[in-house]
Amino acid sequence: MVLGNLASLVYFLPELAVTATILLLVVLHVVLKNRRSPAAALLALLGTGTALLFAWMTPSGAGMGLFEGMVLLDGFAVFFKVLTALATAIVIFMSIDCAELAERTQAEYYIFLLSVLLGMFLLSSASDIVMVYLALELVSIPSYLLAGYFKGKGSSTEASMKYVVYGATASGVMIYGFSLLYGMTGSTQISEIGRVLAMGAAPLPASLAAGMVTVGFGYKIAAVPFHMWSPDVYEGAPTPVTAFLSVGPKAAGFAVLVRFFYTVFASPEDAGGIWKLSSSVDWTFLFSVLSAVTMTVGNLLAVNQKNVKRLLAYSSIAHAGYMLMGFVLLTAVGLKAILFYLVVYLFMNLGAFYVVVLVANGSRSEDISDFSGLGSRAPVAAVSLAIFLFALTGIPPFSGFIGKVYLFAEVINRGVYWLALVAALNSVISLYYYARIVKVMFLEDPTQSGELPVAFVPRVMLGILVVPTLLLGIYWEPVIRVAEASVKILTN
Amino acid sequence: MANLVSSIQFSDPYFSILLLLVIAVGMSVGFVFLSQALGPKKYEPIKYSVYECGVDPFTPAAMRVSVKFYLVALLFILFDLETAFLYPWAVLFRDLGLFGFIEMAIFMGILLAGLLYAWKKGALEWQ
Repeated sequence: MVLGNLASLVYFLPELAVTATILLLVVLHVVLKNRRSPAAALLALLGTGTALLFAWMTPSGAGMGLFEGMVLLDGFAVFFKVLTALATAIVIFMSIDCAELAERTQAEYYIFLLSVLLGMFLLSSASDIVMVYLALELVSIPSYLLAGYFKGKGSSTEASMKYVVYGATASGVMIYGFSLLYGMTGSTQISEIGRVLAMGAAPLPASLAAGMVTVGFGYKIAAVPFHMWSPDVYEGAPTPVTAFLSVGPKAAGFAVLVRFFYTVFASPEDAGGIWKLSSSVDWTFLFSVLSAVTMTVGNLLAVNQKNVKRLLAYSSIAHAGYMLMGFVLLTAVGLKAILFYLVVYLFMNLGAFYVVVLVANGSRSEDISDFSGLGSRAPVAAVSLAIFLFALTGIPPFSGFIGKVYLFAEVINRGVYWLALVAALNSVISLYYYARIVKVMFLEDPTQSGELPVAFVPRVMLGILVVPTLLLGIYWEPVIRVAEASVKILTN
Repeated sequence: MANLVSSIQFSDPYFSILLLLVIAVGMSVGFVFLSQALGPKKYEPIKYSVYECGVDPFTPAAMRVSVKFYLVALLFILFDLETAFLYPWAVLFRDLGLFGFIEMAIFMGILLAGLLYAWKKGALEWQ
């Protein structure tokens, strides 16, 4: 079912709420006398909360084309809208607590943040290559501004510059791939492109287009070899922005990656959730290699990092590699595993960054040495960080373990043993560098004296992030059921 | 090689594009080498000076341009596009009725918020 422009508005409430909030923030920024007043943060939080609520309540029936088929409203899109809005809300909380941002916190910061959120909403529901491109740029351009938010700081400016150059190149290559697809099929609708390609397309141009599109999406999820920007950007950007970039745009990137490749280059074979390649493009092999390389490079480079933000940047590259395992299997179960892992990853990764923000508030740097003796200086923060790091490693009983079990189980079910072996070896490597931080926190003497005060609101927020990290390791059934339903609807 | 040549189908619709590609690349590369090979070679100091319409360059080419120019250019594009939308809307105003009016009012409202922002940020001032 495809709806016209006016009829679509009713189903577009989350996006409209975000847009209205952005406009209000623009006016607020101008009107507000006191630039540091919390009004902007509260308004942004309110807008994000409203969008989250609208997205949550969206009737997720069969896929519905909005705006003459530019965006698609289905359970898959709704899942990612809720996920990205949740990430944004947590990041807004994190930004309020962040001392390095306090000097420059203005309404503008939240305008950029919510613009990225709007872009992520559109990216996860785009069903037209023009819309995919526009949404990707809407995610990217405010991200560049956010990365360079400290205008006077060298590393922040460098981060922004590197991000722009890589982003421009990647999206240029991607849109060239789109133009090839349009030239071959004569349509910008991804379902139509997939239908025409399935009737038999020349293998060389189709593979070339798939490769070029991979560059654009791979850049967004920071998969090797398109990951070069991420360590520098993650290190230079304000810490809440780093946390945001490592979760939000990455999730949206996965959404568009899955939707695009499964619609254009694959088709559902039967009701059992098995897909097959519909054209001559064998992208699954390409992506299994990318997945293995991504997790190996990410983990190996993380081992020697001295800066915790940089370490977490490489670890987030590695996690993109783990999630790509579910992407190559051509089964609904594999996709379900990705969605579940994204939920788990949201809590544990944002949590780890939250503690980094709290520690950096006291010491003004993110070196591993600043974490020494944190166990005695700030026990709550240290124990929380230990939980997040062990969850990231994938140790039971934390939620990261369950996420990995689903990914590994499906890889082994489908008989891709080499990939499972690579991933298992990588988990062992990751234990080393995650555990190193834990060792520094609890077994080494503090380099700085005095307690690190953690205020009430950060304590509550840490609790809100720790509870799902623990709970999803014990009782994960509801989330997996939602993920399953979201994937089923994608096949329509 | 012979196999490759024999595999080319001259009736293929894309054959003319291949031909164009070969000719275009051949011409551009060919002329570079031709001028190198056939052209007279007279080396003088003046030949090595930087060329700027026949006059010695006054300043380095990589000059810094004030950001004010970009601000004005950006604002110009914004409001230029607005007019481009307003004209067809004005022509069809009666046909579009209330719906068209409200839609354009929202569009103008968004633009006005932007103008307000630019104004208060001092983008319109030229110190």
